[in-house]
Amino acid sequence: MSERDFHPLVKQLLDGELTIADLPAELRAEGEEALRLLTGVDRSPVELPAVTRRVMQTLASRPAPAVPAWKRVMRPREIRLRIRPWVLAPALAIAAALILLIWPATPARPAPLVTVRFVLVAPDAREVSLAGTFNQWDAHATPLVRSGSTGVWTATLTLPAGQHQYAFVVDGARWVPDPGAPAVDDGFGRRNSVLTL
Amino acid sequence: MRPGAEPKDGDIVRAVLAGERERYAVLVERYRDRYARYAARMLGSADAAEDAVQDAFVRAFDQLAQCKEPDNFVGWFFLILRNRCFAERRRSRAEAPLEAADSVAAADRTDGGAETAERRRALQLALMELTPDQREVFVLKHVEGLSYGQIAERLSTSIPSLKMRMHRAYDRLREQLRDHT
Amino acid sequence: MLTLLALPLTLLGLQQGMAQRLAGRVSPTVAALVEQLGTTGAARGLPIDPLIQKAIEGSAKSIPDDRVAAAVRLVATQLDTAATALREGGPVSDTLAIAAGAFAINAGLSGSDITALARVGASPQALTVGLRVAGTLAALGVPRAENIGLVSTTLRSGQPAESLLLLPAHVQSAMANGITPAAAAAGLSRAAAAQARHGPPPGRGQPPPHPAPPPHP
Repeated sequence: MSERDFHPLVKQLLDGELTIADLPAELRAEGEEALRLLTGVDRSPVELPAVTRRVMQTLASRPAPAVPAWKRVMRPREIRLRIRPWVLAPALAIAAALILLIWPATPARPAPLVTVRFVLVAPDAREVSLAGTFNQWDAHATPLVRSGSTGVWTATLTLPAGQHQYAFVVDGARWVPDPGAPAVDDGFGRRNSVLTL
Repeated sequence: MRPGAEPKDGDIVRAVLAGERERYAVLVERYRDRYARYAARMLGSADAAEDAVQDAFVRAFDQLAQCKEPDNFVGWFFLILRNRCFAERRRSRAEAPLEAADSVAAADRTDGGAETAERRRALQLALMELTPDQREVFVLKHVEGLSYGQIAERLSTSIPSLKMRMHRAYDRLREQLRDHT
Repeated sequence: MLTLLALPLTLLGLQQGMAQRLAGRVSPTVAALVEQLGTTGAARGLPIDPLIQKAIEGSAKSIPDDRVAAAVRLVATQLDTAATALREGGPVSDTLAIAAGAFAINAGLSGSDITALARVGASPQALTVGLRVAGTLAALGVPRAENIGLVSTTLRSGQPAESLLLLPAHVQSAMANGITPAAAAAGLSRAAAAQARHGPPPGRGQPPPHPAPPPHP
């Protein structure tokens, strides 16, 4: 222990475990030096009012919080198949739609992400896309891919748990709810499909 | 009092994760000053603290999905801010005059005047010569007023190791203040 | 803690956030309406997201401004109704629960249905899921009484949220087998009540039998 170090009892004084009166006489001076050191501690509160506006401005254009990549690797536990035949005017030639839900294996809490496959059978369509609350209702953001000549269009998305509304957009102009899903009024005279994950 | 006032941290975190990012402003407003003093004493000035707190809130937003206890957002946020304070490189000597200006301005608003301001400036400069670990235990105990037990819980470490850090800090501070006064 | 001085800064953050999300996606008229309704709603603890979503949806569907405005106002009203109904069932201020309640109202449930579910006393997270599921069941055609009965029984049983989330799929399976929505829901209610009394039946966790695929058209 160098002579420049505080005596252990003085350190206990600094820690608040002793008072100056507890120190032996020969350490009183050192104790007072130590307490003088502490008078330089600045405890005045610090306020940062500009932080709120600056943080919210930065966040305005930031992508949504991302779930880490490792959480996306999930083993399927159950596969639920819901098929409801849909009878429509033959001109549209849209026969049925399927939703394949791959439920992740998780313990007590619901998983943050679920993989959902959207399928629409539309042999006469030139293009089909998916628009909903998960992609700002952008009719161009999520095109479905046609497989071969059977007229089956599919897209697979990984969506956060929660409630989503969506519809298919056929040939860029016709908004079609999913025949295999529950539907609600969209407020514009049409129906939206509901996905509750 | 408006109905439904003071939503819990956990409610706001869940709402933000569901897409309502505007609600994050409530958390920022609620906690922006809570650790501002800690950041200011760790980094040497209120300006540096402002940058650190701002960065920490943005980082917390980016990683919000990884907050395991949304109802204890503030505890998790503290750790992010702490990492940010530790990552800050040592301020160069050239920036020291700015700190003096900070301290003087602060002292004008309190009692004690120039002498207190000088002591505060000297101690803050001396603190900046410590390692971040030593500075932190000193700030948490003597500025924030936490007990060793509370610090140990927050930093997930033991009281004996904290005391060892602190006692080294006391010696180094003594050395710095002797050499520069 | 939000002091009177701090409140305007938070609202400034809210407004900037809303403006950024609406910019380029909706007309200025609609944006102004959403910001106004959103700000006043947020000050009362209501969520903003459903208003923004409806405005963006209307514009994406090329709906004229006046009808988008009407739809956004309707959402605001549904949020208010849901919030009031939830408060009557207990001290619930969760914005996600309010949004879920508004969805349920849009799907055809009433304020008193929302209150009934809130009175079960489940956690805000469970109640939120319960409201979403109730709205989904209503969309499937389950009548209100059987709907609320099934969801409240499931909530009361204390099972994890996954049990609630599986209810619409179970009902749809039953419907594909020719069972009416009301009967399907009633059957699931009895099963849930029995499970609450006697514990899980053997084979718990198995998926319900898949319905036979319909003949290909």
